[in-house]
Amino acid sequence: MLELIEAILASTLDFAPSIVLAALGGVISERSGVVNLGLEGMMRLGAFFAAAATLATGSPWIGLGAGMLAGAVGALLHGWLCIRWRSDQVVSGIALNLVALGGVTFLVEALYGSTDTERTATIGKLVLPGLDSVPLLRALSGHSWLAWIALAAPIVMHLVLYRTALGLRVLAVGEKPQAAATLGVSVAGIRYGCVLASGLLAGLGGASLSVSTLDQFNNHMPAGQGFIALAAMVFGKWTPLGAFGASAFFAAANALRISLASSIPWIKDVIPSGFLLALPYLLTLLLLAGFVGKARAPAADGVPYDPEVR
Amino acid sequence: MADLGLRQKLFGPSRHWLLVPVLSVLAALAICFVAIWLTGKDPVQGYAKMFGGGLGSLRALGDTSLKTSILTLTGLSVALAFSVGLFNIGAEGQLVVGALVAAWLGHAFAPGTALIHIPIILIAAALAGAGWASIAAWLKVRRGVHEVISTIMLNWIAIHLVESWLVVGPLAARSTQSQVSLPGTAQIEATAELPRLMGEINLGLPLALGMAVALFVLLKWTTAGFELRAIGASSEAARASGIDVARRTYLAMALAGACAGLAGAILILGVHRQYPAIFHGGYGFDGIAISLIGGNHPLGALLAAAFFGIIRAGGTKLQLLQIHRTFPELIQGLALLLVAAQMITRHLLTKVAGRAPQGKEAIDA
Amino acid sequence: MPALSFSHVSKFFGPMAALADVSLEIERGEIFALVGENGAGKTTLMNVAYGLYRPDSGTVRVFDRDEVIGSPGKAIELGVGMVHQHFMLVPPLTVAENVVLGSEPRRFGMLDRQAACDKVREVAARFGFELDPTAKVEQIGVGMQQRVEIVKALYRGAELLILDEPTANLTPQEADDLYRVVRGLSAAGKTVIFISHKLREVLSVAHRVGVMRRGRLVATVRAAETNAAALSELMVGRAVAGMTRSPSARKAGAALLSLDKVSALNDRGFPALRELSLEVREGEILAIAGVDGNGQAELAELVTGLRQATAGAIRAAGDEMTGQSPRAFREAGIAHVPADRQQRGLCLPMRVDENLALGRHRKPPFARGALIDGSGRLERAGSLIKEFDIRPPEPSLLARALSGGNQQKVILAREIDSAPKVLVVVQPTRGLDIGAISLVHDRLRRERDAGRGILLISLDLDEVLALADRILVLYGGRSMGEVSGEGADEKALGRMMLGQSSSEPARSEVANG
Repeated sequence: MLELIEAILASTLDFAPSIVLAALGGVISERSGVVNLGLEGMMRLGAFFAAAATLATGSPWIGLGAGMLAGAVGALLHGWLCIRWRSDQVVSGIALNLVALGGVTFLVEALYGSTDTERTATIGKLVLPGLDSVPLLRALSGHSWLAWIALAAPIVMHLVLYRTALGLRVLAVGEKPQAAATLGVSVAGIRYGCVLASGLLAGLGGASLSVSTLDQFNNHMPAGQGFIALAAMVFGKWTPLGAFGASAFFAAANALRISLASSIPWIKDVIPSGFLLALPYLLTLLLLAGFVGKARAPAADGVPYDPEVR
Repeated sequence: MADLGLRQKLFGPSRHWLLVPVLSVLAALAICFVAIWLTGKDPVQGYAKMFGGGLGSLRALGDTSLKTSILTLTGLSVALAFSVGLFNIGAEGQLVVGALVAAWLGHAFAPGTALIHIPIILIAAALAGAGWASIAAWLKVRRGVHEVISTIMLNWIAIHLVESWLVVGPLAARSTQSQVSLPGTAQIEATAELPRLMGEINLGLPLALGMAVALFVLLKWTTAGFELRAIGASSEAARASGIDVARRTYLAMALAGACAGLAGAILILGVHRQYPAIFHGGYGFDGIAISLIGGNHPLGALLAAAFFGIIRAGGTKLQLLQIHRTFPELIQGLALLLVAAQMITRHLLTKVAGRAPQGKEAIDA
Repeated sequence: MPALSFSHVSKFFGPMAALADVSLEIERGEIFALVGENGAGKTTLMNVAYGLYRPDSGTVRVFDRDEVIGSPGKAIELGVGMVHQHFMLVPPLTVAENVVLGSEPRRFGMLDRQAACDKVREVAARFGFELDPTAKVEQIGVGMQQRVEIVKALYRGAELLILDEPTANLTPQEADDLYRVVRGLSAAGKTVIFISHKLREVLSVAHRVGVMRRGRLVATVRAAETNAAALSELMVGRAVAGMTRSPSARKAGAALLSLDKVSALNDRGFPALRELSLEVREGEILAIAGVDGNGQAELAELVTGLRQATAGAIRAAGDEMTGQSPRAFREAGIAHVPADRQQRGLCLPMRVDENLALGRHRKPPFARGALIDGSGRLERAGSLIKEFDIRPPEPSLLARALSGGNQQKVILAREIDSAPKVLVVVQPTRGLDIGAISLVHDRLRRERDAGRGILLISLDLDEVLALADRILVLYGGRSMGEVSGEGADEKALGRMMLGQSSSEPARSEVANG
């Protein structure tokens, strides 16, 4: 039993970073009032460009930077359409996903002549000395640096949102941009900043797939993780810590699926893996329907800001 | 998520509703043309192969007709929900559910003649899609859940439950001797296979065409369609005028789901002949692009589906140039992005022409 | 030194002069009231002072500073604060957070919430009122929210405070509290300008009153030297055409719509109507008078099936209608001209002829069976466009393209053409120009004379007095009693609208005395 828990804990730490980071990207964007359905596309851009940059330079850390940058470029396009041109945010996000899907496929084929890249170097693993023999805690050792980044990021975002003046402005812009604007807060500035941050985070989440979780980009990436992140954002009630908790829970459900399959084969007949895969979405739906608690989106989420409408 | 009122202004009736989509598609074609050229390949040859591959032979026309019919139906699914102001991102899930029902009835039920078998499967698949979509309608009407989020969640619930449970578990085909299950569901009966006109043209095409025309007539010429459009224009005014908004919302979503469910059935009965272990999905998401590029108009969706049906069928020929066969999907995605960016297009038109058709209103809106 | 001075200020919106050559000086420490009808230019003038609009000609100076007020930011810098009629608050944030937003106190780079709370308490205490800085704005009442807005301005160093219709959404008690705050501000040397069209409150609070009419400042008088009658004459400046009474040509007949002790909740789940009883009879106009927010909106929804009663019974010509759908109400012959004509009255993205069919689209000449009858619809639309003089006379135009007055004509045409027994008309002339107003009023009288029962719900007392055969005053969701429209005493009505029975003196007069 202890081994099973350790296995689940360990593989949660391996699976969670990509979802946590992308979910935080969703939180920061939607908190400022810009709906971001393009997380999947931003993750895909991040995953591909991280692998490509790692292959080109040999450094997975440069790869991570490139992945973040690629996510940010996608986010800025989304932000420009939604903020400057007041385009439909849902359509823009979906379009970004489709373009990232087709565009990256085209690029991989053009650059590597295949649907996958070659093997890349990966981000190092952090071995915690002394923990190796401690039961349970030993599961914490030997994970990628990204696991620890993904643990720290929600706390940082929580502090920024709820403890700083900047955070107060973000919350105000996402709830009632007109009020913020009359007090001299730049609605467009805040929103661009948040959408950019969202792209950096989703790009990092994507990058973690190709240069940390795996050691190459393959064409399935990110395989719907952007949508799991979206569900985690909603299930976490649009808060950084909530989204982190939901992401970790969803990742654990996934870890359970994989660990169970290997350690207790017969369990597959009792709990089909499809149930565990569908669980995040089902729970989110139940939450929204008000069957398990209540979630409320920021009031101005998805509403383009028009300074002339008061 | 707040009510996205701008969408109504963006995609409301306009005399020039075709102009922005056509320009968007042309610009997407141009961008992708340059992209091929940048990778050192011959874009002229590429485009010739792409269009030729979709139209060049009877066989190509067969593939084109299939893709066109699927894209038309999922596009109609999205467009119909738009008529009441709802954004149906759930066509994918509705398609999956419809496909599963079609695959199951295709082998589990054998009336002996296609004349009975096919219609029953089509109706059942449409009902299944309608039922799945009605969950989103119920959540919207009774629980106030925004349909964008709920349909996304329902997509993944459907995909995972069907593909990681039903198709590999309870409904998996079993080899005749042993209890070992095979990937995918059992093959459908011969009576369930869609007949092909002239040997190649899938029966789905006339079906999709008929649906597009029927929905056009519904929206334009019936009182029920009038009510749907009134709700889309202002649900508040529609309610005040005595229209039963909840009932009509169910109707619109159910019809939307039915279209997507039919698309799923055509994929099974016309192509896969089983629900395969690896199902090349995504057509439901394509429906969003098709509907918006088609101006959320049933006939517009048909036109957009025909165009993308052609180039997507021709996409396989691009592999001769080492270009991935999904390249036409990139064109489609870019065209959608440009439709999303139509404020910019209108702004540029204003600059070029002095005044854009309906442009001032759109920019002011 | 004047706190604020306007010198020959004009402002045009298109060809329309919203402000025409306004010159005005407001002294430091003064409480100045700006009165006038809707559209007289009061809010426009104040928006110019707050930098939201730039004048097309003339100059505006604040505290004699030679600077252009180009933006609200500049106005704030110069010491001008404005409290909008619709509050600019962020509901889920706390009072203190709302106050400091945009110029937050910081400590070690973090937001200093303690300092923000202290500051709010200090400002409130200095002007003699209380405010809980840690409460969430969404959980406090409207009166408190208004204080948050005032503290917001004072926190930013406002010396001059502009209040746009500050009592529009307040209860009388809350309004009294506001007056106390305003007097306290004035005593502390702050200048307060407030926009209103409630003459009684103006007279009890202001030192001076400026009267605006059609973009011009027509008079500036000392409050002590004038009275409500004189002010309203200045505001209107005419014996209003169409506002003259023309009593019913015939005696009111049988009850067409009746409410029997009906109660209902508002959207937030609080009681909005309490045991209200009323009757609308054949051939009469029953007007509902009252200050905004006393249950009028809920009443309109109740008698059209858009809101359900929690108790009591609604009958239409004797038929039980309680719990029925909006469609059933329509079919029982109750038509509805809603207050919000753009959201609830029309489908703006649809054509004029389609809008004229709305609600009757299932019946001839608009439909044949389940199909739309396009030519029948066009024909009927054409004749309605002619009869109601809808311009431009083009049925295929989108409703969005029409002016406000013509949009209202479309709604009126549709509702009247459905030959209802009862016409529920809410705020039918708000925002319309004078020509359109008299047209609407004439038409309503004609329909009454034709035997329809009309329930008029209006916030405009002049409109009520001009049209009503009987007047029912609504206060706090209850009926304060009915008076005959003929020879109704405006003063007595005013007292009833403030929640006093017609014989008691008004609270504001007591407060003033």
